[in-house]
Amino acid sequence: MNASFLLFTLLNTGFILLVSPFFMSLIKKVKAYVQGRKGPKLLQSYFDLRKLMQKEVVYSPNSSIIMRITPYLNLGALLLATLFVPVVFIPNAPAGIGNVIVFLYLLVIERFFTSLSGLDSGSAFGGMGSSRLMSLSAVIEPTMIIAFAALAYVLKTVNFHEMFAITAGSTIPESPTLSLISISLFIIIIVETGRIPVDNPATHLELTMINEAMILEQSGKNLALIELAHAIKQTILMAILINTLAPFGLATELTFTGIVISCFYFLVKASLLAGLIGLFESSIAKMRLFRLPGFYMMAFFFSALTILMEVFI
Amino acid sequence: MITSFLADQALLEDIVRILFVFVLITAAFILSTRNIASLLTVYAVQSFLLTLIAASLYLIEGSEKLLAMAALTLVSKVLLIPLFINVIGEKIKISRDLEFNYLEPTASLLVSMGLIMLSYVFLSGFFDEYVLGKLFFVGAVIGLSLTLMGMLVIFSRKKVMTKVIGYLTMENGVLLFGIFVADLPFVIEILIVIDLMILVLLTTILAIGLDSTKNEYHKRLQTLKIWSGREE
Repeated sequence: MNASFLLFTLLNTGFILLVSPFFMSLIKKVKAYVQGRKGPKLLQSYFDLRKLMQKEVVYSPNSSIIMRITPYLNLGALLLATLFVPVVFIPNAPAGIGNVIVFLYLLVIERFFTSLSGLDSGSAFGGMGSSRLMSLSAVIEPTMIIAFAALAYVLKTVNFHEMFAITAGSTIPESPTLSLISISLFIIIIVETGRIPVDNPATHLELTMINEAMILEQSGKNLALIELAHAIKQTILMAILINTLAPFGLATELTFTGIVISCFYFLVKASLLAGLIGLFESSIAKMRLFRLPGFYMMAFFFSALTILMEVFI
Repeated sequence: MITSFLADQALLEDIVRILFVFVLITAAFILSTRNIASLLTVYAVQSFLLTLIAASLYLIEGSEKLLAMAALTLVSKVLLIPLFINVIGEKIKISRDLEFNYLEPTASLLVSMGLIMLSYVFLSGFFDEYVLGKLFFVGAVIGLSLTLMGMLVIFSRKKVMTKVIGYLTMENGVLLFGIFVADLPFVIEILIVIDLMILVLLTTILAIGLDSTKNEYHKRLQTLKIWSGREE
């Protein structure tokens, strides 16, 4: 491991960890504005996390070790995943870091353990959420693989670092197909972070819950870690979309000014994207659960077409 | 700046390629949308995409016919036909088509992916994509798949209104195929559009009374204020 990569590990992970809760509040704020409310403070997510951190953890008497290790595993998997998506600068990473397939598996680890912990608590809600998530995953998983495969095919590499080294520096996307893939990536953000029309993050209604149902039994510090992991997942997926569609500003070498500029640009672009997500969520109604496979299928159709087009022409 | 943008062949071809994807996406929406008003909007968007494709192809090839075709499509399919179906739809008060025959939307999307692959395989037996030019070959493939997807709409949706839109989608596919491969005379294009309008007119009016007797049909036409002629 070289020194620049060590610095990258600290800076990139630290930066994403630091800004992730901010985007959560920002989306809430945008949604509140659209609905004519004032909304929470922009730093509210940080206050919530601090409050949860100070609370004691309560476990259901039925729960096993799964419930206890899930928050740490989730956060661990996603912190590792932050290394795959450079936002401060593109380092000279050791082999394996940045691989798309490993990245997908890291996301799956998080999903797998969240659903296990949903079942583990022994409550009816948790099991329901897990069963919903697993059946929907069967449809969204191929979509994700196809979308990332399309990305890999267009940029001719399976490594995120190399991909973004190609796109970085240009103001418009390298290939017009990339802007098509971005639409699939946007849908993936919506689905993976459990937002409207797939799931409603703001309610605890039995009918709508997928993500919230599984973490209903989590409390205190553990809940804080899970929330943080969720926020990080959102930021990473946003970063992939940003680096694909609007890659300008990302530093390709380790310089102080480069890092500052990268961070600044990322903050601006991600805030815009968060605003867009908030607007998208406000403009659309929650879908009935049984209509969701149709929505996912549309995303799958879209990414598959993109890859077909790229292969044919 | 704009002239240099318009003269950039590679960029124009890229734009056409992106438009292809969007055309197929609109077809996918026609397969799965339940609201008649949005179905019509999607159809109008699809026709508008065809207009754009014809216009960009004009910039690539420079054939005046393509420009005329774009204008014809814009007037007839983007404006007139959707407007007409909308008026009829409001009169007979159908706002949704919720039922599906044989195939649910999810399954029909999978089938249409298969259809796209099938038309690629089928057409590559007829045309050499390197002789025809890759863009033109893919245009033909998309045109054929759009026709087949229109057929799938007719096959899998229940209401006659939706079936009409499926038929119109098929026609759009034929138009796309025509633009890229077969060089139809312009007179025939105009004739097709006129036929199409009369067909839409007839089917939508007939659709009101398909399940009624002749006398009842008169009554229905009068109550819906589509035709106020006197009964003999």
